[in-house]
Amino acid sequence: MYQSLLFLHWKQIRHVLAAMTIGSFALPLMAVQGLGSYPGMEAWSGLEAYRFIAGFQAWVIFFPLLAAGVGITLALSSWNWDHQLKHVYALSLPISRWEYTLQKMFAGATLALVPVVGMWIGSHVAVASINLPEGLNAYPNELAIRFLFAILLAYAAFFAAAAGTVKTTLYVVGTIFAFLLLGSIANDVLGYYVAYFARVHVVENVVQWLAYAPGPFEVFTGSWSLIDV
Amino acid sequence: MNSAIELDGVSWKAGKSFELQDISLNVPVGSIYGFLGPNGSGKTTTIRTFMGMLKPDRGTISIFGHSVPKDMKRILARIGYVPERPHVYPALTVAEQIKVHSSFFDNWDPGWSSELVERLGIDPSRKISRLSKGETGKLLLLLALSQRPDLLVLDEPTDGLDPVVRRDVLSAVLDYVSERSATVFISSHLVHELERICDWVGVMDQGRLVAELPMQRFKNGIKRLRIADAPEGVEAAPFTLLSRRRDNGVGSMETWIVRDWEPPMRHYFDGVGATVRDVIDLDLEEGFVELLRSSRPQHTNGS
Repeated sequence: MYQSLLFLHWKQIRHVLAAMTIGSFALPLMAVQGLGSYPGMEAWSGLEAYRFIAGFQAWVIFFPLLAAGVGITLALSSWNWDHQLKHVYALSLPISRWEYTLQKMFAGATLALVPVVGMWIGSHVAVASINLPEGLNAYPNELAIRFLFAILLAYAAFFAAAAGTVKTTLYVVGTIFAFLLLGSIANDVLGYYVAYFARVHVVENVVQWLAYAPGPFEVFTGSWSLIDV
Repeated sequence: MNSAIELDGVSWKAGKSFELQDISLNVPVGSIYGFLGPNGSGKTTTIRTFMGMLKPDRGTISIFGHSVPKDMKRILARIGYVPERPHVYPALTVAEQIKVHSSFFDNWDPGWSSELVERLGIDPSRKISRLSKGETGKLLLLLALSQRPDLLVLDEPTDGLDPVVRRDVLSAVLDYVSERSATVFISSHLVHELERICDWVGVMDQGRLVAELPMQRFKNGIKRLRIADAPEGVEAAPFTLLSRRRDNGVGSMETWIVRDWEPPMRHYFDGVGATVRDVIDLDLEEGFVELLRSSRPQHTNGS
């Protein structure tokens, strides 16, 4: 049953998945290609090593973006056929709905491993292609694991959102945006009258908590360094 | 009478536009039950309620004695379902779709499935998106039959198919029924198609079940009567009056459409001072149309 759902999802997304895997493999290589290899770089000073890292940092934004793209694509494609067939096929099968949903989710998560492996191999090849200055280390395994978690987080969030009807999804997304927008306005207005709200911006704090440690989305905003001290 | 499907007082409302109203139907085990009704009458919605896809607002449903939707998993394992619209994955080949579908059913019969592929003339290597409407219809039936179901639920399975494919599909169903004594619930708006194969018939109109009776009674019991000196009221009549109209320019003659008619019922008219001049057989389609006319409020009000 799980194999069938995995096969169905793979069959639907295989071309996109191949493109995303190639992208995941190529991104670390592209990130280090400008860094080059210089004679005596092993003995560089801290400042030169810092510049070296900064050269890689220019690419860092693309790693979480790619992870989010892979996760969202997998999530939306997971339900695509079910929505097209108005869920009639799934509902006519002798399998409980929670079991079907869970197996479908695991099938999509399994496919997420393909670009992660691409990223892992690409990172190792990228590291092997350069000489690291003294004091710097490569973290290809850590980068691949962060990539995996970021994909899974984006996948899980959008899998849940896409599972419902368009109406439900719009409610959820609308509620989030309403909270951000109206919450910010309300906080600013209350700031004129209540000292606490002048000091503390509740919405900003919530967003900060979600996006940075120990929040769940820290995986996107944390360190994506393949090369670091 | 053992029931394969039993609905008791089922109601379901979709916004303001449509509702199923108090549907009570009974499909005997081993029967071929034809579910007739014009487009939009609620046939597919009724099927979706007892398939557990829609939750009724009121009423109870059971299939083979199991409660819907409580025992749905067990129930669906015994049902072969052909929906109104194809529910197969367009990117798969026929062989892939069969393999995927088989993985969900413990009773799947691979030998029977292969035999049906041959018999129905479906190319296993063809992509589903490239199948014709007829081939898709055959594939859906193959998927439903290969799981060896006790109950086949076919929602307009031959709609839009050419006569040859239609015959192939119906003969495959009949062969399966004769071999397995399965129950078949088949919906259609093609009256003549069901006439040949069904032993029970239910008629839907505007979200209501307006009649449920053995096919034989449906075929033979609906008549057009020409009556002289027809009485105003129809009290204690042994038949059901579906409609009546005065014949233009023929004195006191009236034409009545009645249901549940039997020849000895002529005597009823002697008792009320009327005379039956003619009893005319209606073909099934005419009977169906009259049944629908009589069930609609504007006609029962005499308009």
